[in-house]
Amino acid sequence: MNFDWWTLAIQTVNVLVLVWLLQRFFWRPIAAMIEKRRADAASLLAEAAAKREQATAALADAERERNELVQRQDLAVAAAQAAAENARTAILATARQEAEAAVAAARVAIDKERVAVESEWAERAGALALQISQQLVSRLDGASIQGAFLNGVLDQIGKLPESTRQAVAAQHATLELISAVPIELAEQPRYGELIARAFGQPGAIITYRADAELIAGLELHGAHLIISNSWRADLARIHFNLADANQP
Amino acid sequence: MNSPLDSSVLFTVGPVPISTSVATVWAIMVILSIVAVVVRRGLALVPSTTQALFELVVDAVDSQIRATMRVDPAPYRAFIGSLFVFILVCNWSALVPGMEPPTANLATDAALALLVFVAVIWFGVRAGGVRDFLATFASPSPVMIPLNFIESLTRTFSLLVRLFGNVMSGVYVIGIVLSLAGLLVPIPLMALELLTGAVQAYIFAVLAMVFIAGAIERDKT
Repeated sequence: MNFDWWTLAIQTVNVLVLVWLLQRFFWRPIAAMIEKRRADAASLLAEAAAKREQATAALADAERERNELVQRQDLAVAAAQAAAENARTAILATARQEAEAAVAAARVAIDKERVAVESEWAERAGALALQISQQLVSRLDGASIQGAFLNGVLDQIGKLPESTRQAVAAQHATLELISAVPIELAEQPRYGELIARAFGQPGAIITYRADAELIAGLELHGAHLIISNSWRADLARIHFNLADANQP
Repeated sequence: MNSPLDSSVLFTVGPVPISTSVATVWAIMVILSIVAVVVRRGLALVPSTTQALFELVVDAVDSQIRATMRVDPAPYRAFIGSLFVFILVCNWSALVPGMEPPTANLATDAALALLVFVAVIWFGVRAGGVRDFLATFASPSPVMIPLNFIESLTRTFSLLVRLFGNVMSGVYVIGIVLSLAGLLVPIPLMALELLTGAVQAYIFAVLAMVFIAGAIERDKT
């Protein structure tokens, strides 16, 4: 056996040199590259984590701002609704007042018109009643009607106060008897006698006059008194009562 | 066929004979250095397929060191990784026609074993100092000092013999088969030699890691 010590020495040096060469050009650069990639990956991960945190914070800020905007919007909507409600209430109140005023004015106008219409119809009814009465009276017997109306005049004289009758008698006043149709001359002394007796003044001067507007009946006019027992007076009284009843 | 213990001398430089295995190692060194330089120049943060392959090798070596020695792999990566790559390439160089693997030469394997022996001392002293390193020989009892010392020599010798025996035997088996039937018959044996070469490189590197880990274990504890 012949061991080659020179080869042992040279191979030892060769392996050492190879170890150095590979360490310099292979192991260390590749390991450094792996480490650099790992560090870069860690840095990227850390950066990504930081950016994720920033994004999370930004998201939270955005969410908070959105909530604030929603709150502001709700407040604005509530204020607008309140203002609109106030305006609506005011408009409704004004409209209600105007409507009430218009209704009141319309009612007043309607009442006025109704009163005017009723007055007009009352006038027309009075005229119609007068016309009807005249036509009816024209068909009645004049002497008996005159007698009835004379009795009514005498009753009213009798209902006058005693002082009034005495005053008329004391003054020797001239009385005027108005009839709707002329009193016949033969009947005039009897009419005068009855009326003078009713006043307690037998010699009283009585004049006679015919007035068709009385329709029917008699009216006795003195200096200070009027005794009406005619349809014209009755119709005037009825008309007055109707007009008074139509007053609002 | 020459004796496996003999080495053929190509030429001499003065008194120094340059054997075939030395020349082969020089060629392997040149090839590995060129590959390393090319890979280094092409390094990029976004790796190519080739770079990813070499990074895989580095990562595998680191993982093996971390799993075996339970330490940071950086101080040991270059030595362990270079041993593995060098022995693997030397073993697989037997597939090149007319080339004898350097690891089939006793002197080359002795050089590798010698380097492991020195590396154990170097890393042990660097990790815990001379005192702690020497204290590892007294573990678990001072009575074991002679045996531990002898073990440190014999395990180095076992590294030498194991690698030399396996590679040399493979080379000779293939040579014998080639002399008997040169066509196709040696192919299965060559494939087996590929596996054997990879396994022997792995075993040599792992044993080197175990020896170094034993030397720095006291410092770790």
